Amino acid sequence: MAALTEPTLPVQPLPPNDLEEVTPDDLVEEGAPGASEDHMLIAAESYEDINVAIDEQYHRGKDEKDKTKNEIEQSARELSIDDRSTTPSDEGRETPKEEVSSAEGKDRSNSMLGNRDRPQHVEEECYSPEWRQRQKHVFILSEAGKPIYTRHGNEDKLVTTMGVMQALVSFVQDNDDNIRFMIAGSHKFVFLNRPPVILVCVSHSVCFFCFHRFMIAGSHKFVFLNRPPVILVCVSHSAESTQQLLLHLTYVYNQIISVLTFSQLSKIFEKKSNYDLRRLLTGTEKFLDNLINLMDRDAMFLLSAVRCLPLASSVRDIIGQSIAQCKAKDLVFAILVGRDNQLVTVVRMKEHSLHPADLHLVFNLVDASTSFQSAESWTPICLPKFNSNGYLHAHLSYLDEECSACLLLLSADRDVFFELSEARQKIVTRLNKYNCLQAIRESLAKGSYKVAQIGIPDLRHFMYKSKSTAQYTSSELEAPYTEEGERHRLFGMYQYLHHRVHNSARPLKILFHVGSKETMLGWITSGFELYATFGPLVTKPAAINAINKLLRWIKKEEDRLFILNSYTY
Amino acid sequence: MAGSRVDCKVVLLGKAYGGKTSLVERYLHDRFNAEMPYQNTIGAAFGAKRVEVDGKIVTLGIWDTAGSERYEAMSKIYYRGAKAAVVCYDLTDDGSFERAKFWVKELNDNEEACRVYLCGTKLDLVQENRKARRVDYHMTTDYADEIHAEVIETSSKTGFNVCELFEKVAEGFARDPANKQTVQICSSVPQYPSTSLSKDAENFQVTEQGRSRGGCCS
Repeated sequence: MAALTEPTLPVQPLPPNDLEEVTPDDLVEEGAPGASEDHMLIAAESYEDINVAIDEQYHRGKDEKDKTKNEIEQSARELSIDDRSTTPSDEGRETPKEEVSSAEGKDRSNSMLGNRDRPQHVEEECYSPEWRQRQKHVFILSEAGKPIYTRHGNEDKLVTTMGVMQALVSFVQDNDDNIRFMIAGSHKFVFLNRPPVILVCVSHSVCFFCFHRFMIAGSHKFVFLNRPPVILVCVSHSAESTQQLLLHLTYVYNQIISVLTFSQLSKIFEKKSNYDLRRLLTGTEKFLDNLINLMDRDAMFLLSAVRCLPLASSVRDIIGQSIAQCKAKDLVFAILVGRDNQLVTVVRMKEHSLHPADLHLVFNLVDASTSFQSAESWTPICLPKFNSNGYLHAHLSYLDEECSACLLLLSADRDVFFELSEARQKIVTRLNKYNCLQAIRESLAKGSYKVAQIGIPDLRHFMYKSKSTAQYTSSELEAPYTEEGERHRLFGMYQYLHHRVHNSARPLKILFHVGSKETMLGWITSGFELYATFGPLVTKPAAINAINKLLRWIKKEEDRLFILNSYTY
Repeated sequence: MAGSRVDCKVVLLGKAYGGKTSLVERYLHDRFNAEMPYQNTIGAAFGAKRVEVDGKIVTLGIWDTAGSERYEAMSKIYYRGAKAAVVCYDLTDDGSFERAKFWVKELNDNEEACRVYLCGTKLDLVQENRKARRVDYHMTTDYADEIHAEVIETSSKTGFNVCELFEKVAEGFARDPANKQTVQICSSVPQYPSTSLSKDAENFQVTEQGRSRGGCCS
């Protein structure tokens, strides 16, 4: 990479506001580290789904005219969750209060159906202080206002609250409009309406910006996402922006589609608009819970990319070849994923590529359940981006006793379990013969890489996404980010950085953010996205110098950190 | 070789949280972990075990299905072609027996050749506390007579009756003349005295046939 050996960014001190004028594209236009022509994964932009959601307009019938303004005002009172506010500085971001009290934990296990026999007059969950102090709430309800899911507490105890949310959604719809989000003091409510279901996320959050159509009620912000026939609402007091909360709701919606398929979901509600969807979702709470928890700490959702397990390219080639050679009928995708959501390889049918969002749901499936560890499993799964109306059939198995890597063989044929089981056996034999499983185990045990290996003194941590391959790499989190609260705060800072550079009203190419605890740099080019954390005292020129060095290092290591060529059936 | 060839397809059906996975865990791996939190099965899990019946080897391919209602529509994938169905119900949950009846009907309608075994689970809980029992034993046997099924009450925690259940399944399969083609002699076990090899002439004939076909157990 000749282009990289010359520092192409000015290393002289820049005037304070000049950084955004820098156009570093010549550095990366050709051959950004980790770039590849291979279309194993679909290159996805952040927020692409949300833009679709915003473009879509659902003009629906006005059969619910009689919702009055009074109800809405009352709703705002009832929904106000917590009046505490946070300041929009990195100092003020709160550490999560996610410890589930044992009492609630027990309650939760009864959720979804188990407690149907309970008396109707249960006290609404929203009166309990623990529940109110949760950092982020996600609610899903049907268009008829029936509770489907709540992240915290028990949805049976939230009948009234959800009814109010439904009223809010339909009130706005009466004006041929869609409610997206609502700010109430320091809380943000995000709604996703996918008739017949409504998803809601509530988060106690710092509001970076407002876009058209929002509501302020008391001291909270609601974000709504309308996905007919579902409504999703998020109420948040975390650091995320409205778009990020919408992204969360979209994933939650896709998780439901992954279980039921879109056609089944809409058919059910066409037949019976007041259907209790929890009946069909029994047992999937853990996937929704796990997904929402993952989104609070894993950058793959934010970046719309996947992280690969670092492996020598020769080893990865053997793995890819071994899997590709063990064909079976109608096998569409073979996915090998290591512990902690690290992709080892994907082998695919030539004409099909995987969308990262689908792969994230596959990761969540493996991550959320231990029930695949004991036996080979055979389960239908819908990948919404691949085909939201049909199932693929997945053969799932771990390849060794330690459960270090899980192999998924996805076929369009529901009767090929034994063919796939045989193929899997052959794959295991081959991988063992060439010591590939050993290599996977070693790489997993070693973890990612320490930032010190790169030899840049001021650099503390970074995340690098190669846009063309939809893959990203990041260094290990080291002190001071080893403690949970600090880790969460750093993730919030990355969310902030990501939000600023992707702001649709004013997108930035480069952002240098000086905070009291660290200095951060975000840099977007046509080939990559880079987010880096430095010590608080680093200067701009030093940071840019460091980034150039870092890019050279990634280029040197790209064979190991990224999957640059994939295998096909 | 487990999983590669299966003589007798066995499917476990029943309401979610009815103890199907625990039953299979106890039978296949002889383990029960009381500390582990409940994990509902996703789709279905497959496990195989070779057992000897009258000196012949039968490979049971056991499908442990998810109890959730959403899999109902696609449950046919799992029970199609099953030779035996173990329909499980939780002895402490009367609703689960109603669900068991649903599965029996489903099987009768779609898989006539499938033998049905009614399996009451969590017997240890009932033995600990008699009041916990919600499913009456005589009621289940009456129902079983009606549908020509067998009833067995098990405890995966203690292991009580678990092996017996699957032995019954294997015997029922091996001794059914309709399954002649797939059962074969266990040729590699000379330590079994020939007197116990077969109980009647018909079965012996079966084993001869199996051997001449080359067999599927290796």
